[in-house]
Amino acid sequence: MSPIIEVRGLSVVFDGFRALDGVDLTVERGELRFLIGPNGAGKTTLIDVVTGLTRPASGEVLLAGRSLTGLREHQIVRLGVGRTFQTSVVFEELTVLENLDLAAAFRRPLLSLARRRRGVSETVAEALETTGLAGLADRPAGVLSHGQRQWLEIGMLLAQRPEVLLLDEPVAGMSRAERERTGELLTSVARDRTVIVVEHDMEFLRRYASQVTVLHEGRVLAEGSVEEVRGDPRVQEVYIGRRKDDAVSAGS
Amino acid sequence: MNAVTNLARLRGPGIFAVVAALALVVAPLALEPFRLGLLAKYLCFAIVALGIGLAWGQGGMLTLGQGVFFGLGGYAMGMHLKLVEASSLPSSGSSSGGGPALPDFMVWSGVEELPALWAPFADPVFALAMVVAGPVLIATVLGLLVFRQRVRGAYFAILTQALAAAFVILLVGQQGLTGGTNGLTNFFELFGRDLADDSTQRGLYIVVALVLGVLYLGARQLVNSRFGRLLVAVRDGEDRVRFLGYDPAVVKTIVFAISAGMAGLAGALFVPVVGIISPALLGVVPSLELVVAVAVGGRFALAGAVLGAVVMGYAKTSFSEQFADGWLYLQGALFILVMTLAPKGLVGLAASAREALAARRRPAVPASRTVKEIA
Repeated sequence: MSPIIEVRGLSVVFDGFRALDGVDLTVERGELRFLIGPNGAGKTTLIDVVTGLTRPASGEVLLAGRSLTGLREHQIVRLGVGRTFQTSVVFEELTVLENLDLAAAFRRPLLSLARRRRGVSETVAEALETTGLAGLADRPAGVLSHGQRQWLEIGMLLAQRPEVLLLDEPVAGMSRAERERTGELLTSVARDRTVIVVEHDMEFLRRYASQVTVLHEGRVLAEGSVEEVRGDPRVQEVYIGRRKDDAVSAGS
Repeated sequence: MNAVTNLARLRGPGIFAVVAALALVVAPLALEPFRLGLLAKYLCFAIVALGIGLAWGQGGMLTLGQGVFFGLGGYAMGMHLKLVEASSLPSSGSSSGGGPALPDFMVWSGVEELPALWAPFADPVFALAMVVAGPVLIATVLGLLVFRQRVRGAYFAILTQALAAAFVILLVGQQGLTGGTNGLTNFFELFGRDLADDSTQRGLYIVVALVLGVLYLGARQLVNSRFGRLLVAVRDGEDRVRFLGYDPAVVKTIVFAISAGMAGLAGALFVPVVGIISPALLGVVPSLELVVAVAVGGRFALAGAVLGAVVMGYAKTSFSEQFADGWLYLQGALFILVMTLAPKGLVGLAASAREALAARRRPAVPASRTVKEIA
């Protein structure tokens, strides 16, 4: 069986700057894969290319053996790839329920959307339950807290029923309790899907990651289990070097 | 916003019934024919405004060129009326030979043969179909081209405005085909009925009011459907909608085409009501005036769009009767006031007044409950 996501020789250039430089990445079906790396390593760019937001200069992305090159964002979603963004975007004027319902309804024929929504579909009810937002279903999404918004986004992703989920820093800016809740959510989501997570938070990584890919300056630096990657001297250099830089810049 | 829609949902059917009764029963009995004719004209504008409310208020597409679609509908109807009239008056055209009779203005501009573009409009079914199909087709093609290229916001607004300007130039330049600056006028009958007759005009008024009512209910249905929610989502986060698996270009094109079809229908109704269609009625300025009217009435509610068109139409007539030049300044000032102080327009003001009243009547209890719910 072919891997669900296969990235081959991917390069992305922004105004002469190589954001990605010949990246290869293979993710098997059902994996929970973490992408880490210092700022500017190209993690988000990689997700952007997979989801059609950014066009690569060269290389290609395959979804279960099928090339995604040249497809537009919504077409890739329809093939079963969903994503979230670093800054969560939910529709503030719509209620939590309506947000989830829209996420679930994209497979319906366009004409059937002209009918008013009656009741709550099973998929949506499930997403409300999983994310713990059932009590807020009829509130406009605009009143949600930061953490609740992130969960709503994950809920919308669940309602989409994608095969592959790409999450861009899902716990950034969350409180400790919210992080734990999100971690549990991720683990339960990953049970029957493939999940790729971009994350900075090392503690979060240690608790929930199985396979880790380290990106640095647009290239894959290391790949393996958390322990392998942490023991890799090149990774340590990148991260420790980075810490030093941070210390210097913070001190100045 | 949510409180407003909840209130509207509760009171909406009641208000609609009262307004419908006023418009369909009271107005035709109470108003003299001249005033009723004016009201019919405002209601034609209200149909265009309804389309703008959908496209702009719900869909975020600031369309400054609805005059183009209004004009397409108006000219389709006008062409039909001119052809019917020419064939019924033996003096005007049939003397030039064996071909179909020519409308009066063509004779004056020295056109000798009926242009191929005109011929099919002699058929009432074709003409009526084109009233809606023409604008819808053009808006669909334009929408797919423009929205797919992700042209939006001010760029889309400017594009539609340029379209209105170009359309006027085209109409004025083709004197023999379109009647040039004068447009099409001197209509005497509509489907065999005398247009000068009061009863015909009253009947026309009823038709206009009914069309507006039906379109309003249809538009409301659309807004409350899943598609309506999707439209709001496209307005507030087009890029996010792509990642929900929808193509925003398709959603926007559909709504733009619907608003164009409404404008076309309004133009066609306008022609027998007012008795003329000319470039001055559908250029940049009239297109803008309707957008201003929608903003004043309240663009986020369909009722606001309709209300704005009628109120601003009435204000324009009564104000211009007294101070001919003052209207433009008043209109501009109103627009600025509304945009800065009451972005939800008259409907928004009414809703917040209602809420304030309700809050005063039932002090403290509901307020503290909402705070708790949010927390």
